[in-house]
Amino acid sequence: MKYILMMTGTKADFDSYSRWSKEDLQRNVEFMRHFSTGLKDSGVFVASEGLGWPHEAKIVRAGEDGEPVTDGIFPEAKEFLAEYWIIDVESPEQAYSIAAKASGAPGPGGRPGNMPIEVRQVLSSHADLGL
Amino acid sequence: MKYILLMSGTKAGVDSYLAWSQKDRDAHMAVLAGIGKDLAESGEFVVTQGLSDPREAKFVHGEKDGMPVTDGVFPESKEFLLGYWIVEVETTARACAIAGRISAAPGPGGVPTNMPIEVRQFALR
Repeated sequence: MKYILMMTGTKADFDSYSRWSKEDLQRNVEFMRHFSTGLKDSGVFVASEGLGWPHEAKIVRAGEDGEPVTDGIFPEAKEFLAEYWIIDVESPEQAYSIAAKASGAPGPGGRPGNMPIEVRQVLSSHADLGL
Repeated sequence: MKYILLMSGTKAGVDSYLAWSQKDRDAHMAVLAGIGKDLAESGEFVVTQGLSDPREAKFVHGEKDGMPVTDGVFPESKEFLLGYWIVEVETTARACAIAGRISAAPGPGGVPTNMPIEVRQFALR
């Protein structure tokens, strides 16, 4: 079963992250690198990507004339995707357990960030929606 | 440059999609499949993935006694990721043009859904 683990944050969260000390950032990055290596070593790793800054995000809607209508205006409360991991595991419990490890990544002063990680199964086909 | 095109919706939005007629759903999926085929032919396609029903989503917040702390309580207004496309293109404008085509995919009665598609570049590492 494939699951996606999503770490999200508001623009305010990203701003606060960008002000972490170099030492705090290094500790967090080192943890994440170790976390990814662990996923690869245990054979559950499928894919992972980090996303660019939310202030570069765009929202696109179809226009009347077929041209895309673009804006970058979002509510302050919007949760932006920061990073995701896709894993292939035996059970949802295993996915939650791995998500908890990512959630425990160190924040300022080395304390666990306890960032909420959203865990969702990914579809192998549209039939998984029961349609 | 790699971009991710994110399609999101609330639980109410998903419920409304689940209530579409089979014909409307088939027409919608046929357009999305056509976009996927065009992207594969132009060499811009990387991957696409749909996500399962938001009702099965869980939030995990750290660990307690070695066990993950989970809950599934979300505000009604929460935007859940429904699916995404990853494309490799030359410009942000091209990524937005592809997102526009996805947004124009037909909904009930063949009317474009005009769903908002979030366009994000991947972090450079």
